[in-house]
Amino acid sequence: MRLFKALLLDAYRQLSAAKLFWLTLGLSVLVVVMYGSIGFNDEGMSILFGTINVENEYITAGSLGARGLYLSIYSGILVAYWLAWIATILALISTCSIFPDFVCEGSIELSISKPIGRLRLFFMKYLVSMLFVLLQVSVFCIGIFLCVGLRLGEWNWMLFAAIPIVTIFYSYLFSITVLTGILTKSSIASLLITGIFWMTLFSVNAAEGVLTGIMTSQQVQVERYQESIAKQQIEIEAIIAKSQDDFRIESRQAKIEEMTNENIQATELLDTLEAFHKPISWILTVLPKTSQTISVLDRWLRSDDGFDLSAIMGGDMSDIKEIDPTNHMAVRRETERRMQDEYDGRSLWYVIGTSLIFEGLILWIASFIFCKRDF
Amino acid sequence: MPAINLVDIHKTYRGKVHALRGVSLEVNDGEIFGLLGPNGAGKSTLVKIIMTVIYPTRASGTVLGLPIGHIDGLRKIGYLPEHHRFPGYLTGSQVLNYFSALSDVDRSTRKKRSSELLHRLGLGDWGKKKISTYSKGMLQRLGIAQALMNKPQLLILDEPTDGVDPVGRREIRDLLSELKAEGHAIFLNSHLLSELEMVCDRVAIMVKGKVTMQGTIDSLTNESKRIEIEVECSPPDWSHEAFDKVEGHTMTKLGDDTSSVQHLIDRLRAEQCTIRSIKPVRETLEDLFMRAVDHIDNPGSHGGKK
Repeated sequence: MRLFKALLLDAYRQLSAAKLFWLTLGLSVLVVVMYGSIGFNDEGMSILFGTINVENEYITAGSLGARGLYLSIYSGILVAYWLAWIATILALISTCSIFPDFVCEGSIELSISKPIGRLRLFFMKYLVSMLFVLLQVSVFCIGIFLCVGLRLGEWNWMLFAAIPIVTIFYSYLFSITVLTGILTKSSIASLLITGIFWMTLFSVNAAEGVLTGIMTSQQVQVERYQESIAKQQIEIEAIIAKSQDDFRIESRQAKIEEMTNENIQATELLDTLEAFHKPISWILTVLPKTSQTISVLDRWLRSDDGFDLSAIMGGDMSDIKEIDPTNHMAVRRETERRMQDEYDGRSLWYVIGTSLIFEGLILWIASFIFCKRDF
Repeated sequence: MPAINLVDIHKTYRGKVHALRGVSLEVNDGEIFGLLGPNGAGKSTLVKIIMTVIYPTRASGTVLGLPIGHIDGLRKIGYLPEHHRFPGYLTGSQVLNYFSALSDVDRSTRKKRSSELLHRLGLGDWGKKKISTYSKGMLQRLGIAQALMNKPQLLILDEPTDGVDPVGRREIRDLLSELKAEGHAIFLNSHLLSELEMVCDRVAIMVKGKVTMQGTIDSLTNESKRIEIEVECSPPDWSHEAFDKVEGHTMTKLGDDTSSVQHLIDRLRAEQCTIRSIKPVRETLEDLFMRAVDHIDNPGSHGGKK
């Protein structure tokens, strides 16, 4: 415990000595103030403490829409963009030198010559290096908690779930920073490699997401064709039952044939997409799922009232339950709903557990090198 | 029980670089032991092996009665690495506090010891200042204070006077003598032969990964002891037989027995030969060092004893 306390205090001193730490903290506070400036009244929403007013009947004070929108801005914008992108980039820049500085000549001898096992020292150093993100996100969450409490009258403790979620998300990337830091002893190299790794993850995640979206859409199309074909066939049977010479029979059969062909094409495309989707899914299974990890927070914060920020942003304020299969907009909405169900159906074990296994593997390699290396 | 007893230490780096080729040496309790050698001799590698910074290829022996690298042994060792780098965001007191916490020193002892050592090393007014404002010599003194924080039984200092001015060096020498008097065993690794000569009880000379000489400075330089007599006249003919060496106006008698030259002095005076000087001479540590290096480079030449 004495050792952990010493390392923790040292990590705090190191961070507080860096200007970037205070800059990031200042920006976080600014973001919180901006968030707190959003309010709701009888006409709709006000921004920047009433400087800008948006009239909308769905988001008046006390409405479910207002609540959902306010929380969705937090999880869908502030966490997904500010914490998961901008603050993370600043955190990586601030912390990329921790391990290279730790293992550099003249410094490492002072630490590993002490009566501490190297493995213990490594993991403690790794844990205390998370302090940057932990402090930043904690301050941010406290601010958001107060904003939500004061604006909505709802003291939602689930908002603090962002602390572990964002820290875990950051730890996926930081494990790469640590490994490259130990291998290269260079801050710039470790930052660069972490950036490349992050972009690779983003690409794989995005590719999987796009393919899943297209496949779901195709699946909905195929189902639509099958439903329409079945409907046409019932109608033809009804017409034939009345008269076998009805002129509508031929046109209906032609339509069925046309839809059958389109259905075959859509099914073939679905098969082709699946051939690409499968390997990407396998690759993603073993890699950290960055965007899905952040989305877990959205899942936890989403209320049961069916409020959906993406629907609002897409201009869909209605509560449509019935899907018209011939309506293109309805197909898109159905696709989005299925996508949402698909992502919500992915277990925490799949999203976070497998990502942590990857992180553990990277840390195992880094710690092995640290423990076995001659410094 | 010796503080350090190293037996047959080998270290081969990747690429088949043999840094240590069977080093054996002993450092006794309460003595100052100096390890010297040219650059690349393997001195720092040896120190780093003792401190577990580097793993040996093959090694046996003990440090403070425990196997090399034992955690309990490390607890009783104070270590100042060469070219040490303390984090610039810390103050002097914080450096001492942080590194002694890593040595498992309790909080109250840390507080007391840090203030005591800062004063002892002349940094009393600098404890609360960021070390980025320290001079090289002050950092070196802070490094020594850091090594002393856990009240070590054995102190290992790698180039402790590096970058320190002559006054500071003298202070460090005095400190080492005080620490020796307090019962600490001190292992010094230095290039500064004159410094070592002044403080060390025993030395070892390492060249190309091997210890070529080891012992007290007196015993190592014993065979080089001689008495030199310088005269103003031309050395008489009989002097070539009576002295071991005659060169110019200087006649040399090997050994340190002054009685053996008394009758020769009388004879010279009787022959009206003016004596300019009579001095006992012995090899310096530098001469010894050069001889050891030369012996490794030219194995056929006159070498030292091991």
